[in-house]
Amino acid sequence: MSVVISGVSVLIPGADSAKALAAGPEPGAGPVEPAALVGRKGLRYKDRATQLGYCLTSAALADAGLLGEDGTVSGGDVGVVVSSNYGNLDTVVRALDTLREGTVSATSPMDLPNASSNVIASSAAIRYGLRGPNLMVCNGATSGLDAVNWATTMITAGRVDRVLVVGVEPDNDVVRRLLGGRHAVDGGAAVVLEDAGAARARGVRVRAVLGRYVRAAGVGTVLERLAASGAPAPAWWHLPDTAPEVIGADLLPGVERTALPEHSGRASGALGVLQCATAVGLFDEYGEGPVFAVCGTDADDASAGLVLLEPPAPEAL
Amino acid sequence: MLSRPIIGMGAVASTGRGVGTLFENLCRGVTGHAELRGFDRTRFRAQHAYEVDDRPVAGEDVPARATALLVDAIAQAAADAGLGEDLSGIPVLIGTGLRELRSLELWWREGTDLDDTGLHFGTALRERFNADVTHTFSNACSASLYALALGSDLLAEEGDHAPDTVIVAGVDVLTESMYGLLERVHPTPPDRVRPFDRDRTGVLMGDGAAAVVLRRETGGGRTHALLRSVAVNCDAFHVTAPSPEGIAKAMRTAYDMAGVKPKDIDLVMLHGTGTLLNDEAEATAMADALGDAASGPLMTAIKSMTGHTSGASGLMGLVMGVTALAEGRVPPTVGLERPVEEAAEFRFVTGGAASASMNVAQLNAFGFGGINAVAIVEAAP
Repeated sequence: MSVVISGVSVLIPGADSAKALAAGPEPGAGPVEPAALVGRKGLRYKDRATQLGYCLTSAALADAGLLGEDGTVSGGDVGVVVSSNYGNLDTVVRALDTLREGTVSATSPMDLPNASSNVIASSAAIRYGLRGPNLMVCNGATSGLDAVNWATTMITAGRVDRVLVVGVEPDNDVVRRLLGGRHAVDGGAAVVLEDAGAARARGVRVRAVLGRYVRAAGVGTVLERLAASGAPAPAWWHLPDTAPEVIGADLLPGVERTALPEHSGRASGALGVLQCATAVGLFDEYGEGPVFAVCGTDADDASAGLVLLEPPAPEAL
Repeated sequence: MLSRPIIGMGAVASTGRGVGTLFENLCRGVTGHAELRGFDRTRFRAQHAYEVDDRPVAGEDVPARATALLVDAIAQAAADAGLGEDLSGIPVLIGTGLRELRSLELWWREGTDLDDTGLHFGTALRERFNADVTHTFSNACSASLYALALGSDLLAEEGDHAPDTVIVAGVDVLTESMYGLLERVHPTPPDRVRPFDRDRTGVLMGDGAAAVVLRRETGGGRTHALLRSVAVNCDAFHVTAPSPEGIAKAMRTAYDMAGVKPKDIDLVMLHGTGTLLNDEAEATAMADALGDAASGPLMTAIKSMTGHTSGASGLMGLVMGVTALAEGRVPPTVGLERPVEEAAEFRFVTGGAASASMNVAQLNAFGFGGINAVAIVEAAP
């Protein structure tokens, strides 16, 4: 049994598709404008991460051919897994400031759902009719790849045939203070994961096939375990979020390295999903894999690695 | 059919530390209800909560209290299972509603230390247990049962990478923002948690953590109980209001996955938050899913003593439910005098603890966003 990617969306400043992301986001681009993408209706009272999540959800479901004419999903449950570390930090501190500078009566009841970190995942489910398992992963640097793996795990376990995975991080003053002045990516990516048989049954185009996932202490250990699992040698290596020189030249020598550029800011929980979208863009452009995606450096609590394989020829699937 | 042995347990709440102590206290009706311990009370209309009394200086809050409770519960469960202190390579899945957001609040307002590696629990678990396969799920009030579902999925995997042992935990402590916003939506400030009572005023938060160790196969060592199923879904209906239909669907799926019928359920550890909307939705769903068997199982809601421990509460209910099966005793729902109409048929345990011979327990947990999780456990053979 295998799990495939059957839809993808990308929205960060300077890149609005997997192809543009793989080519490298343009510097100096303006912010993503949710109202221009999904309309103003329903955006009021939603934090920026949730708004960005709506845009990514809508585009990925449409790309996978799952969005009906009424703008929601019908026919079979779709699960949701969202990865974000900074999602609702702005709501939390704003409510806190209001409380400390006045009393509880000054707070807005509309903030209550946004104070719960899973609001991105549940809001996407409500807006687009996604009734499968609904999971919010806030797991630090590896969060995006972890989210992809939990979606794969739930599909493999037979809980659901299709899962939307979103990785998104908003940029704001709270996040910048937490990052010591650096900005966050203020966007993200989404992929639709699907049981290969279910994808074949509805005739959707496969964009990538998921291989082994590993989480362990240190980038070197993760690469060793991926190699030991029998994964084919990679054509590309998508690096974790750090200065490129930090990753030793002795690791995967000769393999073409790719990374999100410094000007895109900290991708954090969005990175792993952006890496999957990059892999789709690379397969679309060059038709050649595999891509090794790695999140989390030796300075983090752990690293995660995921193998993404190019889609097989249609008759082989 | 799924049947995973639970071989280790740990818990800490306002009402006690350690599974045995906590259970005995709950059976005696001891509650953790007290005036707010760590916040400036003049900011709030509500004045009470169910906090663990662990601050070094009374009235002064400190960061990383959630982490400390989590580490305590995991250490208890790991010791109970005989795992030792090095948990490298063992998946540790943590369900939480609020992760370390209290540390974020203290960082923002009081200037205590924090960086972005301190919001999830992996960093501290690596330091304390050398754990490197850690996962923090922020899934509101059903978080720890959602984590349990994923843990059981890991144990169902095949191949050389599939784990033999998984640790699942849940944790939460009060945050000022959530305490305030929850109070804000109540017409009168809640004074205590009285699940399913007609005169309940709403929900108050509690601190707590719980952990279990699951194994792939039985054999060797003590088994507390068998995990038979965990069903998870999403109403896709409303960000705060629950849907009885979605909840009932999760219950039926849990029964089907475990291969049990409603009449087989001997005990239900209810989610029972004391919130105006939630209790009625849960009762309606429960009555619907049980059908003719609605008067069969004993039912209780321990949040009447622990407060709402948010993401920890589902696993807290499981650890206490497993102990109830083993001990043949069920803690009461304190403060429940006149049940709501939707729950009129239920056999609530009130007054003191009830004694009964029981084999199968159902555990409920539902969260903001309509995310539902229902687990079934069976007494150890």
